[in-house]
Amino acid sequence: MFLTRSEYDRGVNTFSPEGRLFQVEYAIEAIKLGSTTVGVRTPDGVVLAVEKRVQSPLLESSSIEKIMEIDTHLGCAMSGLTADARTMIDHARVTAQNHAFTYDERIKVESVTQAVCDLALRFGESVHDEEAMMSRPFGVALLIAGVDELGPQLYHTDPSGTFMRYNAKAIGSGSEAAQSELQDKWHKQMTLLEAQKLALRVLKQVMEEKLDHHNVQLAQVTPQKGFAILDEVQLKEIIDAM
Amino acid sequence: MSQQSAFSSPGFDFSNSVRNNFLQEKGMPLPKATSTGTTIVGCLFKDGIILGADTRATEGEIIADKNCEKIHYITESIRCCGAGTAADTEFTTATISSNMELHSLSTGRKPRVVTVMTMLKQYLFQYQGHIGAALVLGGVDSTGPHLFTIHPHGSTDKLPYVTMGSGSLAAMAVFESSWKPNMERSDALALVSAAVSAGIFNDLGSGSNVDACIITATQTEMLRNFVKPNERVEKERHYTFRRGTTAWKSENIRDLIVNEDITLVGATGDAMDTS
Amino acid sequence: MIMPDMDSLAHPQERRFNPYTENGGTILAIAGADFSVIAGDTRQSEGYSIQTRYAPKVFRLTDRAVLAVNGFAADGNMFVKKVKQRLEWYHHAHAKDMPLRAIARLIQTMLYARRFFPYYVYNILGGIEEDGTGAVYSFDPVGSYEREACRAAGAAQSLVQPFLDNQIYFKNQEAAQGTSHPSHLPLETVLSIVIDSFTSATERHIEVGDGLEIFIALSKGRTLQGMESIRGLQELTVTEDGERLFVMRRDLKKD
Repeated sequence: MFLTRSEYDRGVNTFSPEGRLFQVEYAIEAIKLGSTTVGVRTPDGVVLAVEKRVQSPLLESSSIEKIMEIDTHLGCAMSGLTADARTMIDHARVTAQNHAFTYDERIKVESVTQAVCDLALRFGESVHDEEAMMSRPFGVALLIAGVDELGPQLYHTDPSGTFMRYNAKAIGSGSEAAQSELQDKWHKQMTLLEAQKLALRVLKQVMEEKLDHHNVQLAQVTPQKGFAILDEVQLKEIIDAM
Repeated sequence: MSQQSAFSSPGFDFSNSVRNNFLQEKGMPLPKATSTGTTIVGCLFKDGIILGADTRATEGEIIADKNCEKIHYITESIRCCGAGTAADTEFTTATISSNMELHSLSTGRKPRVVTVMTMLKQYLFQYQGHIGAALVLGGVDSTGPHLFTIHPHGSTDKLPYVTMGSGSLAAMAVFESSWKPNMERSDALALVSAAVSAGIFNDLGSGSNVDACIITATQTEMLRNFVKPNERVEKERHYTFRRGTTAWKSENIRDLIVNEDITLVGATGDAMDTS
Repeated sequence: MIMPDMDSLAHPQERRFNPYTENGGTILAIAGADFSVIAGDTRQSEGYSIQTRYAPKVFRLTDRAVLAVNGFAADGNMFVKKVKQRLEWYHHAHAKDMPLRAIARLIQTMLYARRFFPYYVYNILGGIEEDGTGAVYSFDPVGSYEREACRAAGAAQSLVQPFLDNQIYFKNQEAAQGTSHPSHLPLETVLSIVIDSFTSATERHIEVGDGLEIFIALSKGRTLQGMESIRGLQELTVTEDGERLFVMRRDLKKD
């Protein structure tokens, strides 16, 4: 692909004669460089797991933040250019708060996902001669987990603004292997613990380092307790139980 | 105080109304008077005069009386409908009625409608509109049938058909469409009734029933509640309260029969010593 | 009759446009255990004139939400229009009917958005909550709101609310020895109280009358329980969700 680079690579809103938007495709490629991130849905809740690449022994692993809260009933894990995710999650948080303020109810998982994707699609958007607000597509994919009146749900968004609902989804560098593993192991009646173990096992298979409580992060969204990032003690327990 | 002071002008003293306006501006509301929002009408017909009135009395937007009488007695063959401040119309017509009685007693003649009209307008003019009475005066006297309107400031009109009050436009519309000279009694009564009804149904200040009064040279017929198109409907439920519904703080039962023991002192029942 | 007095023309005079008028009428709503009744008269007036004898003040929003508006009719109609528009947008964005409490909150935000040029309207929202209970929400013109069991608003509020307090909340009524007042009344009783409220208000208030519209929202699975044959009843239900909506029309005195 890089060999066939052409003038259609330039504009973010210019289709190639084959009907492709290269910049968007490159953005999707960028995600494949990101750390592996896994989401698993069960009837009891949704589990999110991320690999934290601790590149240096001097790096404080606790400062790597790849799972974030959107609202009490919504969580989000990311892979790719994680700095871009800040903008998206900020938007998601504002949308969720606005909904709660206006309607006195929790926003649906699909609605907040839609709102994030609306934002993702606004690259290259400008009015008349004014400067565009966004210069390029986001280089990040999200796994949005949440619970609403339709039960626990997991959504995947990519830089093109497309979103889809999954029972289990892996994104990032190890996503191909991880996804096929999830396909083999996921079943309808998983318990939350089974899902946690599955997510970690999948990560473990695709990680170069040995998995421990420093280089992974685990979170869950349940109908009872909402969004929660598991602390080291809880994480260790699950790793030991694996 | 027979001497006219150089510092006070002659005539009625309106300083209290100046004071009242001042107080009102400062935010002290005047007591709300019952007003007869009202549709009152009168019309001339072949044999005399027919007066008509609705029966609603209001205090602002609240209906104070659903069946009040607005056709007031002046003399046997002169009647007067009142609109405006209820107390003013009642008091004014009653005063003039008394004066007409005295007038006829002292002159030995039956009073004329113009006399009543003149006395009313002079009385109202004295008070410069502060007496809120708007009147329809009608009657038959030795000179024939007469119909007047008298405004609160004292101006008068003499017309073959008249309306007054908040429903005057609704009622006048009916008169203007259908009144003809020399109408038969029944037609005129139906027209008056239609005119008052127009006020009752289209003016919020008027309502309930139609009163009518037919005055001819020979007799006066007061048709109280001539039409009752607005009877109260029956309630869906009964609202009687069970005995014991009202809570009380304390109970105190006092015997109203007082028993006294009388002890006779002194002699054993001897007769009173009256010596 | 009145001559222009030259005195008043000598001084500068300030005249101001008043964008509001008061169009009379009264609305009320009562919540039952599994139903809600929302009613309003249909007279619209200005001063001593009747503008129309049939101007609805109660509106179906969804099969489980009914909004009654009273005050300045132009603002009321515009407000209902805007609420309906927001409900439609919500439906498109979230693929469901807006729940009652969400509508209540939405109305607050819409009213408060006009804090310094308010809709001159008193709102009462009635309907069925997501848990199936009957509910009434009442609002002031700038959005203060509260869920209640009953509320009257408008011209005859001062006549009707005390009656409702006595008959619905049993204020100033002691229960018979060893019994207690019911927290919810049956539909038949509530309808009677609503009708009597309006016939009574019509008797003593000049701005109330002409017609009466009563909306009845029923919870999922609840039936009219033998009241199907009631005079002037019409079903308005649109969805298959289970909640049902009815309207009942009655005449009121027209003087």
